[in-house]
Amino acid sequence: MTPDEIINNAAIAGLDQTILSRVLESSNTGIVVTDNLLPDNPIIYCNPAFEQISGYKRIDVIGHNCRFLQGKDRNQKVRKTVSEAIANGQNCVVEIRNYSKEGKLFWNELYISPVKNAAGEITHFVGIQNDVSSRKKAQLELEMIQSETEKLVEERTRMYQESQDFMKSIVETLRESLLVLDENFTILSANTHFLNTFKVSINETKGRLLYDLGNGQWNIAELKRMMEDILPTNNPVLDYEVEHDFPHIGKKLMLLNAHRVELEGQYKNWILLAIEDITERHAVQQRKDDFLSIASHELKTPLTTVVGYLQLMKRLMPAEADDKFKSIVEKTERYVHRLNHLLSDLLDVSRIQTGNIELHKEPFDFDRMLVETIDGIKAATPHREIILHGKAACECTGDESHIIQVVSNLLSNALKYSPDNSPVTVQVSKISEVIKLSVTDQGLGIHEADYAKIFDRFYRVTEVQRHYAGMGIGLYICQQIILNHGGTIWVESKRNVGSTFSFTLPVQD
Amino acid sequence: MKDKKILVCDDDHGILEMLEMVLEEDGYQVVTEAKSINALNRIAEESPDLILLDIWMPVITGDQILSQLRSDDERSGIPVLMYSASTDGKLIAEKHGADSFIAKPFDLEDLLSKVSGLLVQSS
Repeated sequence: MTPDEIINNAAIAGLDQTILSRVLESSNTGIVVTDNLLPDNPIIYCNPAFEQISGYKRIDVIGHNCRFLQGKDRNQKVRKTVSEAIANGQNCVVEIRNYSKEGKLFWNELYISPVKNAAGEITHFVGIQNDVSSRKKAQLELEMIQSETEKLVEERTRMYQESQDFMKSIVETLRESLLVLDENFTILSANTHFLNTFKVSINETKGRLLYDLGNGQWNIAELKRMMEDILPTNNPVLDYEVEHDFPHIGKKLMLLNAHRVELEGQYKNWILLAIEDITERHAVQQRKDDFLSIASHELKTPLTTVVGYLQLMKRLMPAEADDKFKSIVEKTERYVHRLNHLLSDLLDVSRIQTGNIELHKEPFDFDRMLVETIDGIKAATPHREIILHGKAACECTGDESHIIQVVSNLLSNALKYSPDNSPVTVQVSKISEVIKLSVTDQGLGIHEADYAKIFDRFYRVTEVQRHYAGMGIGLYICQQIILNHGGTIWVESKRNVGSTFSFTLPVQD
Repeated sequence: MKDKKILVCDDDHGILEMLEMVLEEDGYQVVTEAKSINALNRIAEESPDLILLDIWMPVITGDQILSQLRSDDERSGIPVLMYSASTDGKLIAEKHGADSFIAKPFDLEDLLSKVSGLLVQSS
């Protein structure tokens, strides 16, 4: 025994039994005493505090083993600790789920202590009970919050990882070379497509300056200026073409697009640079244009022979020839003329495509040109009404033959796509320094969605395609001619009411 | 006028044949040459009063023939009427000193009036 225990024992021995009993009875900690020498270690004493905690009366518990306090909740791990302590006659402290008489759960902080007699035999166990439910509840709640927080963090991490993986798989799947640059144009990352396209390794790329890559292919003053503009202005670089003799891969045409990186609505000081090899696409386009040019030119040659013979046939036609025969020759001539017209349009497209459209700009009288063009069309379609309003009343500098082509085209379209009994109106005026001409029909009209597309080459509105012949290049040619004159061309339309095609033309070149 | 000799040079036999018929019908004497490489020799042999010359021909083009003809002192004065299917043909013709140009396919009235006009001028 330690000196403290000796003093304590002496103090207790000096106390009256009644006082000790009062201490037990007035304690606010539940105290149970069991008799280990009796079978099944039954309770022989419990104090009022125990009654208070458990809801059981003394009469309910005396003679019972303590296990009833666990109700049906018998599979608690701590029970093993308790059994072992009892079997080995040791102290133990556990937190165990107990149930009151009403079946209500309470967390019991149980302290078990054996009592030995002089022979060292365990005669009794003293159980000290404290209801720690509220403390346990708070602790459990804390644990739950911790575990939920951990789960949330895990979930977020997983989502972040997934989105990173997702982004990475997009970047890697794209058939386009991608570079991420920081604000100093140092390369932060490059995708596989970039490395494969330029036949370079990641080590030759990552961490280097964009302008130092390869043999300085991106070190172009204009590109540099645009790139340097991205972060301060948020202006992207769009469709910038670079033709260069690259190391490893030779001469290629690359299309560049660069944007500032935006993450979750926040601009970062990173630039995403996308590089697309358009060498092959460009070559295919070139071959298509060449084909168009050669085909239309080659077709013109035999046509020239046919036209010549047809005209000769007319000249040689005897005056007494059958009317039917004469009419056949007339009709043949008309269709050959149309064929020639189509071929001329194709040739025009091919010239526009190859940039060979040549304008011979000279001053000409716009009103005279307009009247003559309208008269020409009226002569070909005498049954149609074309009304002219207004005057430009000025000379205009431009390629007259091309402007005639535009006016004829707009007028032919207006007549083609409107009913035979409806008039076509031409309105001309001089506004400031431009001449504005509008051609209005009462035809089927155009969907707004098609306003821009109808000026594309070879574009035809689906329903029109079914009912009207054509290649879809007339308006494209008109647009190119007007644009080459520094003017604008557009359409306004209402379904089943009609369309107005207008263009403006600067008076002076 | 109608006994004038016209040399037509074009790589396309169909056009040659057609032009020959059209011009002969109008009373001209017509010689044709389908190989542009022979054109200058034929011009020297035939001494035509007028040359009808296609621009786009293989081996040697119409404008190259015209340039060489114009630098030949003896024959530089022969009037040349060039033709082509492309509209820029007119520019090429003017640039190389052709006396006139006509676009393919020809309008016969236009062609014949240009031919007779050039022959009147040169005589």
